[in-house]
Amino acid sequence: MVSPEAKKLAEERAARMQAALDLKEPDRVPFTGLGGDVIPAYAGITSYEYEFDFEKNRQAAVKWFTDFPSDSAPRVGLGGLDNQSMGVAFQDYPEIVSGVNSVNGPMNDVLKMKFVRFPGRELDENSARQFIGGKNMEPEEYDQLIADPVKFCFEVIMPRISGGLKDLGSPASLATMARFGLEKARQDAEMAKTMQALMELGYYFAPRGVCLAPLDLISDQLRDIPNLILDLRRYPDKVKAAAEALVEPMVKMGTMSIKAGAKECFIPLHLNEYLSPKQYNEFYWPTLKEVILKLVEAGMKVQVFFEGWHDAHLETILELPAGWGTAYFEKTDVRKAKKLLQGHTCIMGGIDVSDIISLTPAQLDENIKKLFDEMAPGGGFIFSPNIGTCPRETPIENVRAVYEAVEKYGKY
Amino acid sequence: MREELLRSFVDMDEQEAVRIARELVETEGGAVAVLDTCKEAMEEVGRLFEAGEYFLSELIAAGDMFNQIMEFTLPKLQGEEVASLGTMVLGTVQGDVHNIGKDIFKVMAEASGINVIDIGIDVPHEKFVEAIKEHKPELVGMCCLITLGVDSMKRTIEVIKEAGLRDDIKIIIGGGRVSQAVMEHVGADAWADDAARGVRLSKELLGKE
Amino acid sequence: MAVDAKQLAAERAARLKAAVELKEPDRVPFTGIGGDVIAAYAGITSYEFNFDYEKQCQAIIKYVKDFPSDQPVIGMTGLGNHVASMAFSDYPDLYPIISRVDGPTNDILGVDYCRFPGRELDENSSPQFIGREYMSAEEYDELIADPVKFCFEKILPRIVRAFRDMKAPEAHAAMARLALEKAKAGAAMRDMFRQLQELGYAPGGLSVFFAPLDFIGDQLRDIPNLIKDLRRYPDKVKAATEAVLEPLLKVSVNAKGPGVETAMIPLHLNEYLSPALYNEFYWPTLKEGILRLAELGMKSQVFFEGRHDAHLETILELPAGWGTAYFEKTDVRKAKKLLQGHTCIMGGIDVGMVISSTPAKLDEYIKEILGEMMPGGGFILAPNIGNLPRETPIENIRAVYEAVEKYGKY
Repeated sequence: MVSPEAKKLAEERAARMQAALDLKEPDRVPFTGLGGDVIPAYAGITSYEYEFDFEKNRQAAVKWFTDFPSDSAPRVGLGGLDNQSMGVAFQDYPEIVSGVNSVNGPMNDVLKMKFVRFPGRELDENSARQFIGGKNMEPEEYDQLIADPVKFCFEVIMPRISGGLKDLGSPASLATMARFGLEKARQDAEMAKTMQALMELGYYFAPRGVCLAPLDLISDQLRDIPNLILDLRRYPDKVKAAAEALVEPMVKMGTMSIKAGAKECFIPLHLNEYLSPKQYNEFYWPTLKEVILKLVEAGMKVQVFFEGWHDAHLETILELPAGWGTAYFEKTDVRKAKKLLQGHTCIMGGIDVSDIISLTPAQLDENIKKLFDEMAPGGGFIFSPNIGTCPRETPIENVRAVYEAVEKYGKY
Repeated sequence: MREELLRSFVDMDEQEAVRIARELVETEGGAVAVLDTCKEAMEEVGRLFEAGEYFLSELIAAGDMFNQIMEFTLPKLQGEEVASLGTMVLGTVQGDVHNIGKDIFKVMAEASGINVIDIGIDVPHEKFVEAIKEHKPELVGMCCLITLGVDSMKRTIEVIKEAGLRDDIKIIIGGGRVSQAVMEHVGADAWADDAARGVRLSKELLGKE
Repeated sequence: MAVDAKQLAAERAARLKAAVELKEPDRVPFTGIGGDVIAAYAGITSYEFNFDYEKQCQAIIKYVKDFPSDQPVIGMTGLGNHVASMAFSDYPDLYPIISRVDGPTNDILGVDYCRFPGRELDENSSPQFIGREYMSAEEYDELIADPVKFCFEKILPRIVRAFRDMKAPEAHAAMARLALEKAKAGAAMRDMFRQLQELGYAPGGLSVFFAPLDFIGDQLRDIPNLIKDLRRYPDKVKAATEAVLEPLLKVSVNAKGPGVETAMIPLHLNEYLSPALYNEFYWPTLKEGILRLAELGMKSQVFFEGRHDAHLETILELPAGWGTAYFEKTDVRKAKKLLQGHTCIMGGIDVGMVISSTPAKLDEYIKEILGEMMPGGGFILAPNIGNLPRETPIENIRAVYEAVEKYGKY
């Protein structure tokens, strides 16, 4: 049972996040919390156990989120790796998309994806899960992709990337889908238990859509980055046309969770820091922008994770309507971003995970104090680690120092 | 030749029966002879069935043979006066969508000289009433395979009564799950759980045997 | 499970087991009578019963509570999807997902031979199997060469709308959606089985097997065509029955849950065939199947649809204690004379009587049957077919249960 106190706490936390999203000043600086591989380490279990065993995963999460409370609905459950090309392949079947879009350990045991690695399987039991990517599409196939991206992802790409589905239409491939369904049903039930446990601790859960920048889908899932970079010079028109062809599928992926109550869509960028402003504006930004605008039109806020340095392209964000959503920065200086985006875009980030690993508690306390002094005024700021994963070896006293500093300096 | 046709038909020698019938039908008055012989053969098959010597598979095979032969015989009978024992409206009752039993019965009934109006499967009560009004049959046949059909037959007969048509017709029910008890329960005049018995009783109800 | 419920379950199981072992139990084992009337008794439509797991489970529990028996016919909904079971026979873990089509799964699959209440049928109709010709006579050689491959590649696409193009997203999505739907059903079922256990019923179930010729007649060729095939292509038909035997046994193994010791074998074509045809085309592979099931640790329960009188003696070719002969229209008294000490006999209650008779007559009727059938044991009282229609008078059902209570003691 969720107690009235826990319910009230969840409402306060949700309101805090919402105020920042609305570019206002909440009662405190909202803090997403830290997480990642440090959670199983803190619970004394292997990463393998955390990635494959729901019961242990749940216990570890409950321990962590009890000892280190934060504001956002934490990312709980088994960690997954991006598999959006398969999501596109099944985009006409929303109940399947949510299970194939991102692949976790047990699901990968069913689907046997070619480009993911999991602890306790291909990797050491305390390693982090990894997406290694690879080339799944030839340049000659751009025309097919452009003509019908959904069909192409299903018929051509999926058999190449999933061992379980390598022979479409065979008993083995249909059996893979049935086993996928069984596993998904099991995971849905387990996730409901985990969410219930976290709700009892005063956390809230809001469903969220996910999609990619069209060019990222091509480079991460289909062509692999080095090839795509060359394609930009060799087949510029095809690449452009392919990105355009993927706008609708990406919007569909992002908006399909609206029915389930999602109000926000997450778009993690990847190629952004690889591209010159000229390339960014020619190949990357137009279709990303179109996707964001369509999601906003559909009533969603968007949270974009700008991986790496986005400094060169920062101004393009102003082409979006004020209040469109959240810019989550990795290496881009959030102070610099704030100067440009205040009153237009909610800013998220602020602390480098490598600092959490390598600095002292006192230094962390000092850094956060300074950061808040600069970032809190005027609101529209969410404090967050610059990437989602703190490694197993993250010193717990440093973790504690971060939470204590947020507590000390976060009041408006 | 009639003797040979009768024998090969009753013995289930399909190829031979069809061959002879094709030959016979081309002779003077042959079409009538083929029709009469096949009817006689079907009657004999039914008798063998009721005697426990033949089984459903023979009824089905005989029905198929009869239809095959009629396909090329009936066109030659145009203009000939074909005697009819009477008219029967036949359908599987509402809620039941099976047709195999009805179809076996239908071909045997037709072979015996009954003019069968087949109104299909899953037939609503009112459609029976309409068909009775339209075709003025002496006999109504209701089929069901599943037990659900029992009550559906009962209601259909009630609706026929309400329309004031019950006294004009005889009703026979048929199908795998009907029995004397079911007949009394639904208020029919006869019952049959196999096609041969069904045809024999239908003829009795028509006062022809 | 409470101790007395556990004990009750053990008593019931022992009663049935004693009969199968041709002994006299403490009381005559009684399977109960159910079917569409279960939904009516709970005040819900057949549509609700077939599409709403929770309502279905509640209705079953209510009925079983009010009408306890030794092995309640809990109105397993849906229709068998035997071609799919064979097509996926190399994937035992998928058997629970693909072997039966109920209302919600038929919405996903679109099975050609299924008719469901509230969909193609009136909301208070029964689910119905309406087969057609799914295989042509020219395809016997393919069936004989590799029945599993043939069923998968050729027949499934013809039978299941979602599989019309096996390579398409729809087919793949259907498999996943099927599993998700079955998981939903499974949650409701688990709750029902828990309640049944509390009512003194042991978890169990039946495996299933088909006479090879029935598989060909019902699932592939359609009966009228098969009847002609027996005369036109006798060798092919015979070879086909031999070819499908192994995969059908594989399906029986897949269908055998933990603790399951009985395989149900519902016959269909038996009453269509003369002894000559029965002994040539039907019985040899059926008999082999029964013997092989015994080797696999399963007793058979054969449902002899219609009149089996002409073939009754063939049962004696099986070893004594092989299993249970469940009769529809064959007179169980006549069967007993022949089979006593060799075969457990099941049946005895004419469903037509239960629908149309009166409580007093039913009391007399059950008393008579039990009087003749009980002595010597080896008898299980059951309705001659599984389904009582919605309109069955409840007082008649009650009369049957009361009569069994009154006259069933050994």
